[in-house]
Amino acid sequence: MDSLIAVISRKRFRTGWTAFIIVFFLFFVILPTVYILSYAFTNWGSIEQYVLDDPAMLDLILNAISASFQIAAIVTVIDILVGLPMAWMLVRKQFRGKALLDTLIDMPLAVPTAALGFSSAIFFAVTPDALQAPSFALNAVTSPFILIILLHVVFSYPYMVRSLSAILVQIDQTYETAGRTLGASALSAARTITLPLFRAGLVTGIILCFARSLSETGGTMIALATMANSQGFQTGPTIIGMWKPLVETNTDLAAPLAFVSILLILLSLVLLLVIKLVVMKVHLPMGRIWPRPEKLFSRGWFPKTKDGLAVFFLVLFVLIPSFFIFTYVGSVESASFDWGPFTESLLFSFMVAGVVTVIDIALGVPLAVYIAKNRTGKLSDVLDVLVNVPLIVPTAALGYSLGVFWTGQNIIPTYDVLLIILAHVAFTYPLVVRNVAGAVEEVDPAFEETARTLGAKPVQAFRRVLYPIIKSSILAGAIMAFTRSLGETGATQAVVASAQTAPVYIVNLINLKTPSGYYTAGLACIVLIIVSFVFMLALRYITNRRSR
Amino acid sequence: MPDVKLVGLRKSYGDIKAADGLDLEVKDGEYLCVLGPTGAGKTTLLRMISGLLVPDKGKIFFDGKDFTRMETEERKAALLSQTYALFPQLTVEENIMFGLDIRGADEKLKEQVLISMLDLVRLSGRSEAYPRELSGGMQQRTALARALASGADLLLLDEPLRALDARLRISLRIELRSLVKTLKMTAIHVTHDQDEALVMADRVAVIRDGRILQIGTPKEIWDEPDTPFVANFVGQSNFFTGEVMQSSPYTLLRTPEGTVLKGRSSDLAPGTTAVLGVKIGNTDLSKERKGYLKAKVERIIFEGRNLHVDMMMDNGQRISSKVPSWRKGKIAPGDVVDIYWEESKGTVFPMPPNGLENELKVE
Amino acid sequence: MVEVKLVGLGKRYGSVTAVEKVDLTVADKEYVTILGPSGCGKTTLIRMIAGIIEPTDGKVYIDGKDMTGVPIEDRDIGYVFQNIALFPHLTVQNNVSYGPRARDLPPEEQKRISRRFLEMVKLLDKMGMLPGELCGGEQQKVSLARALSSGSKLLLLDEPLSALDSRVRVDLRYELRRLAKELGLTTIHVTHDQEEAQSVSDRIVLMRAGTVVETGTPEELYTRPRKIFTANFIGETNLLEGWVLEIKDGVSVIELRNGGNVRVNQADHPVGYAVVISVRPEFVFPADEGMRAIVTAITYMGTYWRVTANTEDEEEVAFDSATLDENLLTIGKEVYLAVNPKAAVLYPRPEDGVQEAIKLE
Repeated sequence: MDSLIAVISRKRFRTGWTAFIIVFFLFFVILPTVYILSYAFTNWGSIEQYVLDDPAMLDLILNAISASFQIAAIVTVIDILVGLPMAWMLVRKQFRGKALLDTLIDMPLAVPTAALGFSSAIFFAVTPDALQAPSFALNAVTSPFILIILLHVVFSYPYMVRSLSAILVQIDQTYETAGRTLGASALSAARTITLPLFRAGLVTGIILCFARSLSETGGTMIALATMANSQGFQTGPTIIGMWKPLVETNTDLAAPLAFVSILLILLSLVLLLVIKLVVMKVHLPMGRIWPRPEKLFSRGWFPKTKDGLAVFFLVLFVLIPSFFIFTYVGSVESASFDWGPFTESLLFSFMVAGVVTVIDIALGVPLAVYIAKNRTGKLSDVLDVLVNVPLIVPTAALGYSLGVFWTGQNIIPTYDVLLIILAHVAFTYPLVVRNVAGAVEEVDPAFEETARTLGAKPVQAFRRVLYPIIKSSILAGAIMAFTRSLGETGATQAVVASAQTAPVYIVNLINLKTPSGYYTAGLACIVLIIVSFVFMLALRYITNRRSR
Repeated sequence: MPDVKLVGLRKSYGDIKAADGLDLEVKDGEYLCVLGPTGAGKTTLLRMISGLLVPDKGKIFFDGKDFTRMETEERKAALLSQTYALFPQLTVEENIMFGLDIRGADEKLKEQVLISMLDLVRLSGRSEAYPRELSGGMQQRTALARALASGADLLLLDEPLRALDARLRISLRIELRSLVKTLKMTAIHVTHDQDEALVMADRVAVIRDGRILQIGTPKEIWDEPDTPFVANFVGQSNFFTGEVMQSSPYTLLRTPEGTVLKGRSSDLAPGTTAVLGVKIGNTDLSKERKGYLKAKVERIIFEGRNLHVDMMMDNGQRISSKVPSWRKGKIAPGDVVDIYWEESKGTVFPMPPNGLENELKVE
Repeated sequence: MVEVKLVGLGKRYGSVTAVEKVDLTVADKEYVTILGPSGCGKTTLIRMIAGIIEPTDGKVYIDGKDMTGVPIEDRDIGYVFQNIALFPHLTVQNNVSYGPRARDLPPEEQKRISRRFLEMVKLLDKMGMLPGELCGGEQQKVSLARALSSGSKLLLLDEPLSALDSRVRVDLRYELRRLAKELGLTTIHVTHDQEEAQSVSDRIVLMRAGTVVETGTPEELYTRPRKIFTANFIGETNLLEGWVLEIKDGVSVIELRNGGNVRVNQADHPVGYAVVISVRPEFVFPADEGMRAIVTAITYMGTYWRVTANTEDEEEVAFDSATLDENLLTIGKEVYLAVNPKAAVLYPRPEDGVQEAIKLE
């Protein structure tokens, strides 16, 4: 053991290890993610031939992509508008039932998006008669565009509230109190002092929310399949999901697929930049204070109404749609259900998620530590920016790109499972890195430095001092990676069309459009929800116990 | 038991020079305080000695051996940081034993050291506690015990008392120093608190802008400051400007108003513009005796041992004095008093090139 | 006219009492310091006055008006925070003009007020800078100017100097008092630093564990503290245990545990009573007879020497000497120490021992 520590403490070994991690990240995560961009250079001819010169095709693609971006933008705006009061309430106010509210917000996070898609579609949308939706379902939405917006709000709202409250917690409340001692009412102080300080954090929230909406595939496909008439509505990712199984027999689709992927990747990266610039540069008229009206709004009915509306929104637009599936399954006639294929697909999903999580932790933690500790270095800066790329690129595009990358080489074998794992690693790896890097940065470097001066080698200092402190963040990263992988449809389908994961299985059931198909799909969703709930609880239990 | 020698250390962060040619020698077994304002480069100095930071230029010697690029863990120089950095997941006992554990010491020795350390820092009853369960003072003592028990010869103390309440700080000064002395360690203690440095140090090094301005015993630093900054930073001083008339056996300085002031001998040529500094504690005032200058008492503040007296001179300059409290009642605001000092208590400096005001800035 | 009156003001968190029913009146234009170690409840107290924390018991009156339920912004106070809390996104001037802006004063008026107070703290030239570009002392001065700009005559200072370097702190405390007095403010200042409290206050309220130990002028608390805790907390002191041996003409002769006898001009404890003497180092001096002790340390304090000596039963006695005659005072030398009978104070010996009575944490 001692000699092992001596070996890995050598400068040369440490440098080699760091280099390996960085190479892994660049070669296995970043490069496959954006590889498809090269298609535009090597095969521009086919893009012209099959897409640009085919107006119907071009129209279809552009409509789908524009719908994707419109939905993402609208969802983000809604999330901010309703998420901010909720985040504010959770961070700045003390009230009875706060812990309950806090848990309720997290609940939808545990529901896989596939189940969310089915559940919310039954609640919101006008559904076919065969589905036998309960009479108290809203049963009102006929526009697929609106349905998808509602669905995306359901699953992205908790993310937005969480990231907004994370920022809010970090803003010292003393600033606001200082403003109030100077005579500003609570609302004025919040608006002129806290909100401007909020800006940088807001960018992160917006980008994450936007990217999540842009990426979402499984739930979207299921929701569209569930509604009575989806009018052939497509988003960018669902097009990839639709064409990918066909491309093997119809090679004409290769160019359109590449084109959709390229557009999604490029536009999301450009948009990222634009959002960042716009939010940071736009100068809002924050200076002026209107004492009288703001004072009026600081007290009495206004704050109460605002908080009430926030809770109302949470219940009606997030919680009920998330769990409506239980009501549905309880209210319709039961049908026989063949568990075999479903269990298989479920096991497959879990296996993939497990392997992916292990890889993420083993190779993500070192990169996170490197980035966090070399904040002043140029390389670290570049890596830090690159880490965000797979988070922003829609996963369907990422999956397609990655599939093309790996099948086009002869270095590693291209088994389906391996490709799916690599694809999932690509978009979950950044989650772990970002989470852990954030945690490492919060830890006072004095801990490790003191350990070094007490005689600990770098490895020992990490193992005995830093690791126990960041352990819970590593676990949190693992949970995120695991659940993301479990709920992912877009990337899986885009990389291996025939993959039978749980969401794909559910879509197939829904597409039968028979009462028993719908019922079975509902039951499958419930099983999915319960399994991931149990899993999350178990992990949470372990986390709590270990961090005591 | 090392002596530490720093030769021409330089370290820059962009345009900021955190170390600008630091030379320093610390003797074996010495308690050295490095005293300076925030941003003077104190922490940089300590981090270079501990190996957490590699200097851009210059060399560090431990016992004559070049340690400039030696790994931190090989230096046997334990750091006690401002925030203590007690490992939160370990108990007091495990924290104290960290160094010996890492070095794989045998159980018997560990047992022995632990018992003596807990005893030394009066924490025998709390060995099972976690750091967050301890008061500030206990945390400080745990961190100290951890550093002492690690088998290090050199102790690096980075503002070790800063996080404590003022009153507790005063009680712990003597305790900390005598612990280090008992264990015959060499200590380098960085602080911004002049009282702390005076009380604790064998020698004090005053640092500013990455350079050591003066190094000497507390008495030398207090009584024979090399620059107006040192004179004012260590105990406050009153300053008077004028022209040197003679510089030996004592210096005579003529102020613009024509008053002649006396100070210690200096090597300033007659005719040069100079500054005379007198500690406010050495600035005496009297209603009977004839002094160098006259001033009107503005206010008198009772500070326990002393009275703090603020006065205004005819030329509009404010000066202060500290006199023993028993003189309360003998002076009152509004009194016009004579100001004088023993000539050995006045130090004459050449006029600083950037002007007196910039020289005296304490931040 | 601003008078602050606290009546039975207290704060409990569940079963934990942070502040135990405090009664205090701060007169118009008075400078009162609330002094005490960490966790004594002083910050909770000032925050209740400002309305940042709601009390669980009692009431705060400002100018005779009950402040219960009055929000922070309507209490008309100036508040300086320990962590300075300048708005990081606003320039120095906009920080200072925030108060006038919040009251919707016309722009010229905002400008005039902010200039006036920045000039008062001599930082007019830093007007356009962001807080992050200033050093600690300057930041705190801006924060003071900001608190004053609201025009309030009540200034609340919550550990205003503790984030600063000690040398900067010394300069600023004289300035704080000067400003408060020139502007005729009623000031309540919270600190753990007894030297700071002495330099700035008209009156000190000493707190410990949520209760007020003692209230008095700096001079009263230094020369005639009524509690042992006060004697030890404010200024340095020697605490010597002994018994009253005899009383004659209002002078008690105390036989000390360390063997020596000392005289104290105080006669409120009967013969045989167990007492503790508090005597400041400047009132202990070498003499021909008294406590026998061996010199253990000599420290130069600038204008005097601080000598520590150990008595026979290992009690430590500190005393000050203006000069150092090396024939008389060197480490290891034996000395006899006497006490100035006028400056010593007698206390009944506390039941739980002296250490418990002066414990800081």
